[in-house]
Amino acid sequence: MHDSSLSDTRSAPATTAVTKTRFRRRSKWLRAWFPYLLVAPAVIYLLGITLYPGIYAIVQSFYAVKFGPWNPVGFNNYVKLWGDYQFWGALWNTLLMGTISLTLQCVLALTLAFHAYRDPWVRGWRIIFLVPMLFMPSAVAFIYKLMFLDARVFSDILIRFGLVDGNLAIQSSIWGSRALLILTDVWQWTPFLFIIFVAALQGQDEEIEEAARLDGATWAKIFWNISLPLMRPVIAVALVIRGIDITTMFANVFIVTKGGPAFGTETISYFIYRTGFKFFNFGYASAASVIMLVLTIIVAQVVVKRAFKSARG
Amino acid sequence: MASIRRVKGENLYIRYLILSCWGLFCLMPVLWFLSIGFRPRTEIITAQPIYFPTLSLDAWHMIWSDWPMAKYLRNSVAAIFGSVMIDLVLAIPAAYSLSRYEYRGREDIGFYILSTRMMAPAIVAIPIFFLFRNLGLLDTIWALMLVYAAINLSIVTWIIRSYMTDIPRELEDAARTDGAGDLRILWEIIIPAILPGIITAAVIAMIFVINEFLFTLLIASTPDAYTMSVALANFTGGSDGVIYNAIALVAFLAFVPVFLVVIAIQKHLSRGLTMGAVKG
Repeated sequence: MHDSSLSDTRSAPATTAVTKTRFRRRSKWLRAWFPYLLVAPAVIYLLGITLYPGIYAIVQSFYAVKFGPWNPVGFNNYVKLWGDYQFWGALWNTLLMGTISLTLQCVLALTLAFHAYRDPWVRGWRIIFLVPMLFMPSAVAFIYKLMFLDARVFSDILIRFGLVDGNLAIQSSIWGSRALLILTDVWQWTPFLFIIFVAALQGQDEEIEEAARLDGATWAKIFWNISLPLMRPVIAVALVIRGIDITTMFANVFIVTKGGPAFGTETISYFIYRTGFKFFNFGYASAASVIMLVLTIIVAQVVVKRAFKSARG
Repeated sequence: MASIRRVKGENLYIRYLILSCWGLFCLMPVLWFLSIGFRPRTEIITAQPIYFPTLSLDAWHMIWSDWPMAKYLRNSVAAIFGSVMIDLVLAIPAAYSLSRYEYRGREDIGFYILSTRMMAPAIVAIPIFFLFRNLGLLDTIWALMLVYAAINLSIVTWIIRSYMTDIPRELEDAARTDGAGDLRILWEIIIPAILPGIITAAVIAMIFVINEFLFTLLIASTPDAYTMSVALANFTGGSDGVIYNAIALVAFLAFVPVFLVVIAIQKHLSRGLTMGAVKG
């Protein structure tokens, strides 16, 4: 894959190094700390943008913060959060829509990848399937808002086929709105998994498959017993990355449903945004952020670490 | 791959039926949205959807004359370019350290960098908002650059690290025996050798920056710092509702360059999207 780039550089630097022979005597101290020095700027930058906000959010979560001074309230924000059905609802919605959406995307992408990876036109399919992914999420949200809610194209098509009598009231139905958000996500992001799965299938050793085929295994059997188990680490990584993005879903909710109807599509990100920047209840929103942060750390330690370790072998 | 290969029992009709159905499912909304961009506003939201509208360039004139579209475009480009530069400057040495040296805590540092990708923007949104307000950076593209760089730093580092790990050590060893220092090896041997990886990382970072929504929404409160992504959400004509034909055109304006760049790096895409975990 990188043959061309490697061969270009193999000759050039060797000659320059010969002409300028320099012996560098680095102190022991520098030698030991050099790798840390190289990685330090990136880590410091990331600490600045994660640790600082983390601590800030924790501190703020113990105050009632509107616009004026911060009033200490102890654990009040957390106690209130515990009894806030909107917060639990947002958590539930995030999990519910995320799980359904991720499952659908995974099954669809696997099906498509399995049918496409041996196809002579696989590159063509890949380019076509990529198209939705390369639109801005805010644009995709508008496409679906217009198609399903404002211009009612979907209803119109169903009416033309005689499947329903009148326009569907998607907007006022909780499950209709949830389905719309899920569909939007599936449409845009199934290609993400598809591309990864195709690459993984193409990278598999064909001889194993060939041997199974000679033994008379059908393609379904080969897929279930050979290809799929071999792909497990890849599937894990892909689902983890996609899962994170789904649980942080914001633009779609912001544009298509605004969390409605009856908070039925409000995700946790939207809950924090609404509490903080619509009602300016920053302390309370920070408390919700802290709980999200704790959940994120747990998931990162348990799931993400394992997935990436197994994929890298 | 000259002939169509298939396994025993696989039906080619089903294969092509499935693939073309999904292809249509992908493209139909896009084509329809394109038609929205070239129709007058009166034909967008109607009692019955209009599938064959009259051609109109209203929206095209509108986005350039009624909105500071050129400014949004400039903001987007500046934010993309600046943040990707910051990322590369920080990520290349970090990736080199993580892929080439053995030291205590290496895996933990690598994982810490990766884990910042897991952070939901909403979690850090409020503190970052206050931080930039105190620094007086709210509503500037500098703030956007810094935030975008932070969002993508983990991805860029991991992608570049994965490409660096693939380079055979012998390549460096030759130079090392000739007395070249570590930094010179990095600059003269490693970086040229992994250029495709660096480009891949930059492209993936670019896509995420163009897509970023929540931070931009919070940091940019006036059109001074709007990028295309958030400008879209503000194309509402007040009482007239959302101005869909303008939105459609802007969406396609942003789509075309991204599409072309992604096709150019197609081979590396799966590796980039998984932060180097899948070598496609």
